[in-house]
Amino acid sequence: MVFSSVFFLFTYLPIVLLLYYITPLKLRNLVLLAVNLVFYAWGEPVYILIMFLSIAIDYTHGLLVEKFKGRGEDRKARWVVASSVFFNLALLFFFKYWDFIAGSLAGMGLTFMPRLGLSLPIGISFYTFQTMSYTIDVYRGDARAQRSIVNFGTFVTLFPQLIAGPIIKYKDLGDQIDRRTHTAERFASGVQVFVVGLAKKVLLANNLGMLWDTYKALPAGSLTTAGAWLGVVAFSLQLYFDFSGYSDMAVGLGRMLGFEFGPNFNYPYISRSLTEFWRRWHISLGSWFREYLYIPLGGNRVGRGRLFLNLMVVWAATGIWHGASWNFLLWGLYYGLLLAAEKFFLGRWLERRPVWFQHVYALFFILLGWAIFALEDFAQMGPYLAALFGFAGGGLWDSGFLYYFRAYLPMLLVAVLASTPAGKGVWTRLEETSKKLVLPVLLLLGLLISTCYLVDATYNPFLYFRF
Amino acid sequence: MLKNYSKFVTTLFCGFLGVVVAANALTPDKSFSEMENRNLAQKPVVSLNGLLTGKFMSEYESYVTDQFAGRDGWTAAKAAIELASGKQENNGVYFCGGSTLITRFDAPDAEKVEKNLTYINKFAGLSSVPVYFGLIPGAATVWADRLPEGAPNYDQKLVIDRAAQSTAAQFIDLYTPLMEHKGEEIFYRTDHHWTSLGAYYGYTGVAGALGLTPVPLTDYVKTTVSTDFYGTVFSSSGVRWVRPDSMDTYVPEDGVTVTSYTYDAQGNPVEVARQLYDESFLAKKDKYAMFLGGQQALGVVRTGHTDKPKLLLIRDSYSDSLVPFLTPHFSEIHLIDLRYYKQSAAQYIQDNGIDTALVLYSVPNFVSDTNLVWLGR
Repeated sequence: MVFSSVFFLFTYLPIVLLLYYITPLKLRNLVLLAVNLVFYAWGEPVYILIMFLSIAIDYTHGLLVEKFKGRGEDRKARWVVASSVFFNLALLFFFKYWDFIAGSLAGMGLTFMPRLGLSLPIGISFYTFQTMSYTIDVYRGDARAQRSIVNFGTFVTLFPQLIAGPIIKYKDLGDQIDRRTHTAERFASGVQVFVVGLAKKVLLANNLGMLWDTYKALPAGSLTTAGAWLGVVAFSLQLYFDFSGYSDMAVGLGRMLGFEFGPNFNYPYISRSLTEFWRRWHISLGSWFREYLYIPLGGNRVGRGRLFLNLMVVWAATGIWHGASWNFLLWGLYYGLLLAAEKFFLGRWLERRPVWFQHVYALFFILLGWAIFALEDFAQMGPYLAALFGFAGGGLWDSGFLYYFRAYLPMLLVAVLASTPAGKGVWTRLEETSKKLVLPVLLLLGLLISTCYLVDATYNPFLYFRF
Repeated sequence: MLKNYSKFVTTLFCGFLGVVVAANALTPDKSFSEMENRNLAQKPVVSLNGLLTGKFMSEYESYVTDQFAGRDGWTAAKAAIELASGKQENNGVYFCGGSTLITRFDAPDAEKVEKNLTYINKFAGLSSVPVYFGLIPGAATVWADRLPEGAPNYDQKLVIDRAAQSTAAQFIDLYTPLMEHKGEEIFYRTDHHWTSLGAYYGYTGVAGALGLTPVPLTDYVKTTVSTDFYGTVFSSSGVRWVRPDSMDTYVPEDGVTVTSYTYDAQGNPVEVARQLYDESFLAKKDKYAMFLGGQQALGVVRTGHTDKPKLLLIRDSYSDSLVPFLTPHFSEIHLIDLRYYKQSAAQYIQDNGIDTALVLYSVPNFVSDTNLVWLGR
């Protein structure tokens, strides 16, 4: 189930809110666990067994870690943590990377791994990371082990962030799982964030996605340089509004249920370096890798050679986390190299350049990165990258480019503006009374227009009648 | 935010959800959508198997979206917002000047085109009578100058040329007669079909190839049967701000009988009488089905000119409005729709004493058709 659907908005969500708020405080986690499981099972019912297994294993591992630590048996506690990490990574590896590795080996003539063709359980990249962090946090003493399996299950399956994050560490959420307050203020602010996220996803991301799909589908021979840039700009905005819209909806839904999740995006496209970009893009993932991989590897307190190696390991992992395909690994390593360069010398040089140059620098490499990210097939990526640099089969531009540019210009302008803090600036400067008048209008418009697009997406005239 | 104002915002949001939920609960479920021309999903029955496989869930989602209250209105509003935001197309339909909507045509799958051409060659080899083959260009090509400036548009002439060059059948040029009259109302502005006038020009092309002398248009009296036809392109576009089309007929129905051969619920063959023009469809949304009563697997049009030859027409729906013009030249016109008729067409020719076979498709249907394979049997 996805948030941006008629079914979620007008069937699932009303039922959840109703059930949740008529239930006495003490039993709300039980209700939440039940609706979470429905949410998870909705698309792929069988995989709920994996979810149960995951909950049971991490729950017992957490308790064991705490028990051994309490007895001062650190060695045993470490083994339990290792076992939890192994189990979670094995799960992720099996479902996400098995076929990728099997396929790659088969490409080299090694066929000892059969391809399984299993569909990816939704959210597995997110919840395995959350449960892994749980046992580690308990071991590090950053969190107490959860004694109630209902509460633990609620943490693992919490539907607002189950399938697309943000990745929330147990130490940040554990207390809220046990006890949280439900106020009208929090609910109302959740409504605002949710509607903003919905509009980002449905009105901006889906629309710009259609522009990207057009350019992605063009054969290399008819791709133009202007068109290739338009395509990659559209993809960059689509991805940002899709993902940050989803995160906003998660934060909003969380608040409606009394939770407070940290922000996941902070206007990444206004960055002046790639280091800054990664502090603003998918914050919860960056902080997860920093805390549970980069720092354990030694962080910054190592020699230059080792630091470079650490960076490459972390960014290779970050890249491949995004999907089981070589281009994601390449994309990760691309950032590894660029970030290492910024750390070692480029960053200091860049600081002395004019601000506009820093923006151009950052955006150029971000866009180039997205082209690598978006094109899984290297046979397609090569000509596309060449087209970006002026070697396009279709020349610099054509009438098709002008048509799409004109048709999407208003949408692109809105999207570019919306990816800067300008709107927020205007909003905070508004007087309190004007805010009170404008807010309900914006909320209703956002909901109504989004509903138009959601309903239209399911509008499906019978093909035969075109016969 | 103040407590009271927060309560107001909360109420607003929950109220919005509540109103939509209530509207959906109160509007009765519909079984058929005229606008989408399809049966709508109904509430699925809960079963253990359905729950375990997820079939119930996906059916339930379809049910909720199909039965969404005011579905057509929401879609229309979306089209209007797209226009306002600068778009010149919606759901694959271009907004053109003069209240015209034209379905976008993109580069077809070349492999499929070749395959379909091979099936027709196979049929030409199997058939005991001469086989003629024609492709009708659609509005996107004939009216290309009406499309928005620079709108991507694949030239259907390329498909037609490819077919003319590679076919083993005798090729009929329908492109030239239609292009010669592209300034006239030869396509509906809101439907993908040609008008009766367009069909007439197509008929002159067919007649020329078959060595028949076409009846001059001036011999016929134009009868306008409807002035409020909103066609399929209107439906799929979501656009609601265009004028309706008029529908005309030219050829009188006198002496023509139509029989549709089909099967009843028990699988026994039955004959159903139809008409050249079934005016009962004019009261419905799908008015084009007035021509020959819409879809049928196999139909036979008998004209009373018993001295004339018999024609087999392998067709798509464009032919339904062409058939009236063919009636003066044939004693019988047999119509086969390959989506429903799955027996050998070559055998049919032998069994029914057919004299000429004609395969006629519009380019957009031809390049996407998956049933031509049946011609090769």
